[in-house]
Amino acid sequence: MSDTGYLPKEKIKDFLKELAKDAVVYAPCLEGDIVLFRPFSEERTLCLDRPANTPPKSVIYPQSETLFAFQYKKAPEDHQKMSVELKADIGVPNMVIFGARPCDAKGFRIYDRVFIETNTPDPYYRKRRENTLIVTLSCAAPSPGCFCVAVGGGPAHKEGSDVMMTELEGGYVIEPVTEKGRAILGKHVIEDGKPYLKDAQHVQAKAHDEVRNPFAPDELPKISQSLFNFDGFWEQVVGKCVSCGACTYLCPTCYCFNITDEQGIGSGERVRSWDACMFFHFTLEASGHNPRPTKFQRFKNRVGHKFIYYPEKYEGVIACCGCGRCIRYCPVNVDISEIVNYLKDTHQELHWASSRKEGTQPTVGSTKDE
Amino acid sequence: MNNAEQIKETIARIFPDVETVICYQQGFDGLHATPYFISIPEQVNKLIWNPLCAQNLTSYLPSIKKKVGIVVKGCDSRTIIQYLQEGLIDRAKVVIIGVPCTGVISVKKVLREIGHQPVVDVVFDDNGNIVVKTQKGEKRLAIADVCPDKCTTCQYPTPLVYDHLIGEPIASNKPKEDVYKDIREFDAKTLEEKRAYWEKEFERCIRCYACRNACPMCICQDSCIAETREPHWISQRLSLQEKFMFHMIHAAHLAGRCVECGECERVCPMDIPVAKLKKKINAEMKELFNYETGVNPDDKPPMYTFNVDEAKIKEHKL
Amino acid sequence: MSGVAGKELRIVGFLCNWCSYGGADTAGVARFKQPTDLRIIRVPCSGRVDPLFVVKALLTGADGVLVSGCHPRDCHYTDGNFYARRRLEMLKRLLPFIGIDEKRFHYTWVSASEGQKWQQVVTDFTNQVHKLGPMHAKKESEG
Ligand code: SF4
Ligand code: SF4
Ligand code: SF4
Ligand code: SF4
Ligand code: FES
Repeated sequence: MSDTGYLPKEKIKDFLKELAKDAVVYAPCLEGDIVLFRPFSEERTLCLDRPANTPPKSVIYPQSETLFAFQYKKAPEDHQKMSVELKADIGVPNMVIFGARPCDAKGFRIYDRVFIETNTPDPYYRKRRENTLIVTLSCAAPSPGCFCVAVGGGPAHKEGSDVMMTELEGGYVIEPVTEKGRAILGKHVIEDGKPYLKDAQHVQAKAHDEVRNPFAPDELPKISQSLFNFDGFWEQVVGKCVSCGACTYLCPTCYCFNITDEQGIGSGERVRSWDACMFFHFTLEASGHNPRPTKFQRFKNRVGHKFIYYPEKYEGVIACCGCGRCIRYCPVNVDISEIVNYLKDTHQELHWASSRKEGTQPTVGSTKDE
Repeated sequence: MNNAEQIKETIARIFPDVETVICYQQGFDGLHATPYFISIPEQVNKLIWNPLCAQNLTSYLPSIKKKVGIVVKGCDSRTIIQYLQEGLIDRAKVVIIGVPCTGVISVKKVLREIGHQPVVDVVFDDNGNIVVKTQKGEKRLAIADVCPDKCTTCQYPTPLVYDHLIGEPIASNKPKEDVYKDIREFDAKTLEEKRAYWEKEFERCIRCYACRNACPMCICQDSCIAETREPHWISQRLSLQEKFMFHMIHAAHLAGRCVECGECERVCPMDIPVAKLKKKINAEMKELFNYETGVNPDDKPPMYTFNVDEAKIKEHKL
Repeated sequence: MSGVAGKELRIVGFLCNWCSYGGADTAGVARFKQPTDLRIIRVPCSGRVDPLFVVKALLTGADGVLVSGCHPRDCHYTDGNFYARRRLEMLKRLLPFIGIDEKRFHYTWVSASEGQKWQQVVTDFTNQVHKLGPMHAKKESEG
């Protein structure tokens, strides 16, 4: 068996059907004018020509999941006595994520470090992650706002994927990335891809050159602490942010969650659901005190977590994969790459500080295109 | 002198009477405009004014304490009037630069037309078109074909309240009877159809609350009952029922207050037509109380008041 | 869908403390025969009834919701029911827009002395809801 496969375009549905024999296959499907990962079936319209509006993160890390159900039981002999019965079920089918983009797949690596590669792995996440095969489609061209190459990724970056597909005119070249991914080559509709490998590599290289790098020429952006800790900076750059959850919920690397007990009568469920640092309630304490009452502080955390705290904890890895979704779908066009760019520039730091001294507010973007 | 230049000049004049001016600058690409907060007059050189300046900037007003200048279109001015009705802003602290508007652009509609390609360049020609260049070529679109739905029935292209008006007032040429036509058409569907429609739409909702946070009239924000645990209106589960409930909360709290700016719909990353629910209520407010939001600062929102004898509310028989 | 004969449906009633709750009591004391589907929640005034109470009930399992307060001009707090009337009328007109039959929701005014009227309202509304059948029949409800 060759190391490379080839999937002719007209066989793509057969391929998905073959995969669906022993797994639930999530694929990007067109709904109205947006693209969402849905369990694939014949009636759906596959859409591979642009990244999905939402990353596939909810397949492995659902927006809301029941950790366990609980039920209060009265002791028959003494009704004053109550016991609680717990029921947990992490039954997870085999799953395939088909048509994720390299940034989406890389996002799962960000989660793995937090949920699996720790002393207390998360059984729910781990089970789903282990049961899922990730078949990624490399990007032939950048999408509006994306900047993967600037944060250690790229349009054919393989981290997190089990299989990498690259689109050519008549079909997809298939490169297994992991052992798990190799099994794909054995599927009926997959042909030998060796003759096409060169073409695929060419497509990949071309795409890589087309992606913008807002932090160039730096290898990876390095943030200036003093500017980061200057409140005036944040007030100015995120004054327009409306503090919603669009950026975090659409982000393939955001993983913060909330745990709540959803009570019924005599029973209930402990639910884990996504949370977002942009929400006021995220840090609201039981006393009523909120250490991050303003959106500036909350935004600072969002950038800090991705570009300072996570890298500090995990060997310099930046917890942003540059997919550009937060930029594309932000209601008010807040651009995280622009903000990080300000933060890494020491020249900017002087600029912001001096405008503060003069009593004027610094001019956002004043060094840009001037 | 074109509008952009006149706006810049006006802004330069109102400093230092105001501390900040809210206007627009270019966003991350040529197809996007983004709010621009100016605090020194020199910053105006980055200001832009074109049909991409669709966002309703007035949403920022209630949270700003200092004296502020703001650029508003006809529809945006209704928000200011609604704020005045509800006592949410101090008129003396807002300097309004009104710009008569011939219609803005829905970026979502343009993206659909250009197949969601990244844009290389955007220009406007003199015949009411937007020309969008992408790697795959150039597309010329009539602005009227890619405007948000609200523009197709706009009754107030000229701001209803302003301190400075840029250019000449424009009168609406859209028939008044058409404003709620879409609502009447939807109303005519069967209950099952309507229920199925909303279930399909709301199923996509990710409860990011962008619609709520972008809504100028959603003023509770941090204490919104969609998120509080006490009272506990909705759970953290992801069921359709919770999503439905959230949207009913937004709609009910906007009853007789929604200014039909369409922000909720513009910002939704899941493309959910959330403004429709509120527009329906507005249609009923018009019918019941002959009330229209955001047109007269002396009006009282209908849910804030009552008549002992209601002319249009009949007792319901069983 | 036809009514479920003999089977109780879930109907929630929000009754103001000063009039309608009294009216229901009067009907009870007089032993007027009434259907038993209604579950009453006593509220200080019909003005306390947020239209969202009704929505929440309908979305989470109720088959019908009844709101009843003092007659206009008789509200214990002078104008609670005047505000209620506007809000509830708004809701009545909104429900069909989201695909809920407005007949599942009724608001009315019953005084403390109107035991007979109360009996009539409950009977008629219960019948009306039974005619529509259970709201969540097709869907698995969360209970
Ligand atoms: S940056 Fe944009 S998407 Fe994120 S919270 Fe602010 S307004 Fe919402
Ligand atoms: S921070 Fe923004 S660009 Fe980075 S991964 Fe998240 S959504 Fe994508
Ligand atoms: S903006 Fe859209 S997805 Fe977000 S909460 Fe509102 S309707 Fe739901
Ligand atoms: S509900 Fe929507 S249309 Fe109405 S005021 Fe709010 S954002 Fe504007
Ligand atoms: S007290 Fe009965 S309606 Fe107000």
